[in-house]
Amino acid sequence: MSEFLLEILAEEIPAGVLSQARNDLLRGLADALAAERIDGTFFAHSTSRRLVLFSRDLPEVQEDHEVEAIGPSVKVAFDAEGRPTRAAEGFARGQGVAVEALRVVATPKGEYVSVRKVVEGRFTSEILGEVVPTVVAKMSFPRMMRWGDGRDTWIRPVHSVVCLLDGLVVPVTLFGIESGRTTFGHRTLAPGRIVVVGVDDYLAKLRAAHVEPDYGVRRRTLLEKAEALASEAGCTPVEDSALLDSLAHLVEWPGLVRGSFEAGYLELPEEILVTAMREHQKVLPTRDASGALAPHFLAVADHVGDPMGHIVRGNEWVLNARFADARFFWDEDGRVRLEDRVPRLARLSFQEKLGDTLRKAERVEALASRLAGDLGLGESAGEAARAARLARADLVTDMVREFPDLQGVVGGLYARRDGEGEAVCRAVYDHYRPAGVDDALPAEPVGRVVALADRLDTLAGFFALGLVPTGSRDPYALRRAALAVVRILLEGGHRLELPSAIAAARRLHEVSGASEEEVVSTLHPFLLERLRFLLERRGHRHDEIEAVLATPCPDVTDAAERVAAVSRVRRQPDFGALAASFKRVQNILAQAGVTSGGEIDPSLMSDDAERQLASDFFQARGILDELIGARRYDEALSVMASLGPVLDRFFVDVMVLVEDEAVRRNRLSLLAAMRDQFFRVARLSEIQE
Amino acid sequence: MDFQTLILKLSEYWASRGCILEQPYDTEVGAGTMHPATFLRVLGPEPWRCAYVQPSRRPADGRYGENPFRLVKHYQFQVVIKPSPADIQDLYVDSLRAIGIEPAEHDLRFEEDNWESPTLGAWGVGWQVLLDGMEITQFTYFQQAGGIDLAPITAEITYGLERLTMFLTRTRNVMDIEWAPGVPYGEVRRQDEFEVSKYGFEVADTDLLRHLFERLEAESGRCLAAGLVVPAYETALKCSHAFNLLDARGAVSATERVGVIKRVRDLAVGCAKAWVAARESLGHPLLPKETPRPEAAEAGNGEA
Repeated sequence: MSEFLLEILAEEIPAGVLSQARNDLLRGLADALAAERIDGTFFAHSTSRRLVLFSRDLPEVQEDHEVEAIGPSVKVAFDAEGRPTRAAEGFARGQGVAVEALRVVATPKGEYVSVRKVVEGRFTSEILGEVVPTVVAKMSFPRMMRWGDGRDTWIRPVHSVVCLLDGLVVPVTLFGIESGRTTFGHRTLAPGRIVVVGVDDYLAKLRAAHVEPDYGVRRRTLLEKAEALASEAGCTPVEDSALLDSLAHLVEWPGLVRGSFEAGYLELPEEILVTAMREHQKVLPTRDASGALAPHFLAVADHVGDPMGHIVRGNEWVLNARFADARFFWDEDGRVRLEDRVPRLARLSFQEKLGDTLRKAERVEALASRLAGDLGLGESAGEAARAARLARADLVTDMVREFPDLQGVVGGLYARRDGEGEAVCRAVYDHYRPAGVDDALPAEPVGRVVALADRLDTLAGFFALGLVPTGSRDPYALRRAALAVVRILLEGGHRLELPSAIAAARRLHEVSGASEEEVVSTLHPFLLERLRFLLERRGHRHDEIEAVLATPCPDVTDAAERVAAVSRVRRQPDFGALAASFKRVQNILAQAGVTSGGEIDPSLMSDDAERQLASDFFQARGILDELIGARRYDEALSVMASLGPVLDRFFVDVMVLVEDEAVRRNRLSLLAAMRDQFFRVARLSEIQE
Repeated sequence: MDFQTLILKLSEYWASRGCILEQPYDTEVGAGTMHPATFLRVLGPEPWRCAYVQPSRRPADGRYGENPFRLVKHYQFQVVIKPSPADIQDLYVDSLRAIGIEPAEHDLRFEEDNWESPTLGAWGVGWQVLLDGMEITQFTYFQQAGGIDLAPITAEITYGLERLTMFLTRTRNVMDIEWAPGVPYGEVRRQDEFEVSKYGFEVADTDLLRHLFERLEAESGRCLAAGLVVPAYETALKCSHAFNLLDARGAVSATERVGVIKRVRDLAVGCAKAWVAARESLGHPLLPKETPRPEAAEAGNGEA
């Protein structure tokens, strides 16, 4: 077993790409070696300046393998007497075998001579020397760079390469740097050279030089230190997995310090303090026992300690300065009411053809007012309109310019300071939600109305311009907007006739482009696609979803209720039979070209089974009208299922497509009437056994 | 450490590392990058090592001298070295020692921060350098300027002098740092901060600025046509400054903005092309004489 070690020491690699780079290097090299029949177990590490890969179980030598070389065709290789020709001799000589060793093989193109040879395995080190540079050169990153003479392209300039197999240097050249056994320690704490002979030696010397190569260890250490340092101050760190990930990538040594900021800043809204800490300074906020924000924070430091106290004092100074800045903005912005900022939105473009942000706000205001009525929140229409008007006004505040992630939140806080109604403030505050599939909805109905109006306005506008997402291209994040619409309706249990809401949103846009009908006919299915996605996430089966989406679905909440009912009722014993019978109903109607049923004349019914079906159905029809009207879909489906056996008997006993046209049409009309009634809930014929 | 000592120490340090000390450009610019000693010199194959202070103007950042951090005019210390040497980070860390910072006593981190200037058709890749959590330097490997893929590559180091002084002296308000011993920054700068803020936000004549923009744009084109690269570039800078003033006055709509930025970029791109041609026709005088001129390295796509 051979031990392999590769370290690439570069200038600081962006934290965001390190995990991927580590995996790509590992996978790339493991695959490239496997293609050379060299298998091993690989481990990868990374720090802000290093990618490390090692294995302890590589074979020293590649396995021997047999290769077959195909030579000339038999016709060319042998003369009429079957003696080898000059061509055959030449081929054998070229392959280094006697001409007698040639054999004949059948190929799709005919018979050819060939030779099988055992190729001795090459040394693993030789193969490593070939594949390492290829694999590294092939690594790709979201934003590559060139440096020095500008010839090479990689994520950052490379400074040294350690490439060892069993303690011997595997000679490779990466970006002009020749491999060796020398690396360097921590940039400021132990910048000297380190000479290494193997994996354990490397790991030990690196750790002694204040570099912890293992990302997992660094992350764990940071978390432990955070908890310990916070608890010394009687508080706990705010949980933030993503920030911790990023901090562990930013350092070579997992140092952490605790600092404090002036308690007076705790008067500022918590949202602003937390954003300044997490987003701007990348420090962890803390909370006291009561859950309130504490005036302490935890800052990562690529250092073993803080010998002079500089690190704590520096971080404290910067954070206090940030907060001073935020307080300045808070006070300055307070001089102009949010309401008076609305006209300034005219300076802010929303979309070139859809006008400026003031126009956007006015459209959303009108739409929100209408939607409030549609959603049965008519008494809140005024609040919704007010919130919609103010919703984007924080885009022209210093605070949002400084903290763009807080748009909406800042507006909500300012609205409260302006003395706007509480419902309005909260709606402004979270109308940007949900930001994604797992983000929370606006907490209250008014916020949801504003969020809906905002998204529908955006969607209707872009669809009117024909800017519809295709494939993976969705530059305006319209899928996310559509998902927000569907989630708000679905999870809020709101009922909305989407086609008319879409039409209303389209009418508010002045832009020429696709008509109201066209926008409805493209945007409504686009929204239903998001519904399909969400229903799949809820665990509904594909056929259940299809069965409902194949019927008209103007109201996504209603559609989801129908899917849920189908999911539940399909387990009942009669239901499978009903679904199967309905495939026959569909087929016969399709065969006969019947789209809608006509008059049903009981006097034309000659068969018992036929009369039975008609009478049961007529009886059920009224009940179904009531149940469906009341959205009692489980019960409606059960009533339908109860008709299964009668329908089965009908198919056994009665011939539908008979000669007598009047009888035939009467029977088809009965089936069509059943189908039309039943398919109000779901297209049962879509349900699989 | 006071403001001017910081400038002196940085100048001395980079001069001792082979940089020529250029001086501030005498036209309003938004950043040290716009000084011809950076924007034009990063183009082409000639080596270049240069450092200078550049007063940089951002009318929209004006706060009438009242905000503890924001200024219309702040001072940058700019270093450009082409081709970027392998030990550029070490050189930088040594520069911190030169201004009294012992790196081993601090937390020093290089965090990804890429740079892009749509008005200059330029972008680069690099870091913000954080010292104990404070951004003290912008570090950029120029990849493209004036729309031209660069090779060799220039490393650019930009120190924000006010912020650095504030940080080193733990001063809360920029006006309170010492420019020289006993002389506060505010005494030197407060009045003009107030006045340029007021001018930019309240007084500047937008009709005049628009007129200037149009005329300067045309003038830059005329200079280029006459083969005068530096005057063309200088006029483009004035154009850019007129745009910044208009922008601060809120006189540029968002839609208009994109178009105006493109017009300035077109000027910058024209100047960059003309500069490359001019240096070529001069025989690249800064290339080492004794060695034959190397083939210009192939410029990559920049982005993969």
